[in-house]
Amino acid sequence: MVEHDVTDSTDWLSTPLSALTPLESALRCQVCKDFYTTPMLTSCSHTFCSLCIRRALASDMKCPLCRANDQEMKLRSNWSMEEAVEAWKGARSRTLEMARSRGAPGSPKRKANEVELEEQTGSKRLRSSARLSGKATMPSYAPKPIGGDDIVQISDGEEEFEPEPDDGLVSCPSCRKRMKEWQVFTHLNTCTGPSPKPKTPPKPQLGAFGQPQQKAKDRLPAVNYSMLKDNALRKRLADLGLSTQGPRTILESRHREFLTLWNANCDAVYPKRKAQLISDLESWERAQRTGGANRGTMVKDKEFDGVAWAQKHGDSFKDLVAEALRNRAVAKSKSIPEDGGPAAEHEPRKPAEESLPFPSNPAAVVPITAGDGVAMLSRPANEQEDQAIHVAVRVTESSSDIPLAGRTYHAQNASHGEPRPRQDCDNVVPAQFDPGAHGTGFLRD
Amino acid sequence: MAQSTAQRRLLQEYRALTNNPPEGITAGPVSEDDILHWECLIQGPEDTPFEGGVFPAELKFPKDYPLAPPSMKFLVDLWHPNVYPSGLVCISILHPPGDDPNHYELAAERWSPIQSVEKILISVMSMLAEPNDESPANVEAAKMWRDHRDEYERKVRDSVLKMLGL
Repeated sequence: MVEHDVTDSTDWLSTPLSALTPLESALRCQVCKDFYTTPMLTSCSHTFCSLCIRRALASDMKCPLCRANDQEMKLRSNWSMEEAVEAWKGARSRTLEMARSRGAPGSPKRKANEVELEEQTGSKRLRSSARLSGKATMPSYAPKPIGGDDIVQISDGEEEFEPEPDDGLVSCPSCRKRMKEWQVFTHLNTCTGPSPKPKTPPKPQLGAFGQPQQKAKDRLPAVNYSMLKDNALRKRLADLGLSTQGPRTILESRHREFLTLWNANCDAVYPKRKAQLISDLESWERAQRTGGANRGTMVKDKEFDGVAWAQKHGDSFKDLVAEALRNRAVAKSKSIPEDGGPAAEHEPRKPAEESLPFPSNPAAVVPITAGDGVAMLSRPANEQEDQAIHVAVRVTESSSDIPLAGRTYHAQNASHGEPRPRQDCDNVVPAQFDPGAHGTGFLRD
Repeated sequence: MAQSTAQRRLLQEYRALTNNPPEGITAGPVSEDDILHWECLIQGPEDTPFEGGVFPAELKFPKDYPLAPPSMKFLVDLWHPNVYPSGLVCISILHPPGDDPNHYELAAERWSPIQSVEKILISVMSMLAEPNDESPANVEAAKMWRDHRDEYERKVRDSVLKMLGL
């Protein structure tokens, strides 16, 4: 699933190459903890992803690392870093694979094991090295710890080396043309560099970094939203091809985020198309509004649109009510045929009733009339279910314009006869904690 | 599904915490559905009255994490000057640099996007060892800590023992 593509510098810790951890963490942005994407240098010489630093500056105007004041305009591309990151990303998975296949994970006996492993796999490695270098046989000096690749490369270099012919001439240090010694200095002034024998053509990506592609796209300037009337802001959004729906705060944050996305895209070596940016913006907006924990700063609470929320989740409330009704029907049909059944069924539930906690959020229950609530607690489970469902249904019908999350949810819980205990002081017994059994382990491989 | 910045960053942190767990700290998302809600366990630091205890807490992350800090709440009663009776933790690393109603926190100690769950939990551990009584969240506890240290330590020790069921 999603977690498979999440890598971290600590992945190296369990391998014999744990020394690569600091190297890799130096190639990662401290804000998103991922490899730098379009790294930018701040005025205080720190590096972040373009998008990360632009978002941080848009909200705080300070470097996240040293809190020196900074401005988006002053950011400069850090192409060397980008090159380093790309190169490392290319080499990472194979290196990690090799390190893991050889690794005796982090045990104190690692060194001994390592030697053993090396001896065991010695011949194997030779074979693969031979295949890599394209030679059928390996030279006799092969069983060095260095891979065959390296050896071949060294010999490549040796092929190029030609011993100086004894002709009384010297070679130009740049183009290697042979000439008399006194000619060298004047020649160097006009020398065009190595003669056309480009054994190693420049890598395409290097070329791309060296010559940034057409910088056609202009960065968009920041906007002082307090100076902008609603209509003017809507017009700006429309001009950019963005949605003009929603209250003022949403419009502002939408516009601000698009500027950030756009400007970060301008920094990129391979910029995205505008349509892609707009869809990025939309998914950002979805993430900001829906899903996830409700917490938030005060600002978030102000932005909360209760009516829209109720409309949006109206269907799920209906589903919950329907399910509660279904469960009730099932419970009834069960209790009718077997007469002894219900009593027996009630027995084990008694303790649950006694400890029936007030549901997690007391406010969620209070609106259900006090009489019902008290009565519910003292009734046997089945009736209690009925009661709860009635309450839920009645409330839903009578005031459908109010969000009913707490109430219907309560009904739902009660209908199963086992209100989910909240993790409260009593339920959490740390002494019994078992890290493996705890709910925190879902990502473990 | 495209992941939001906050989700991705939290997955990243979770990965780092499982690969290289700091001593005395366990943390992770409660469920796969909601990565913005974590639960963690903190060991009471040694040589403090909290020693021997294991304190569960929940962390709730805002959607614009890491621009804004999470909130942290202990799920057990904790008698400590910097923990509200509700369990909410009041510590400078959890406060955004913007607002400082009390003007006592240094900007350098506040939240910044480069902070992480690990750093928060380590700070909380050291907060357990060394309360800050300049702006207490639990005034009674702060008074007791300042004026009757023995009583404070006894009370904390008792609550730890009680929590362990001893």
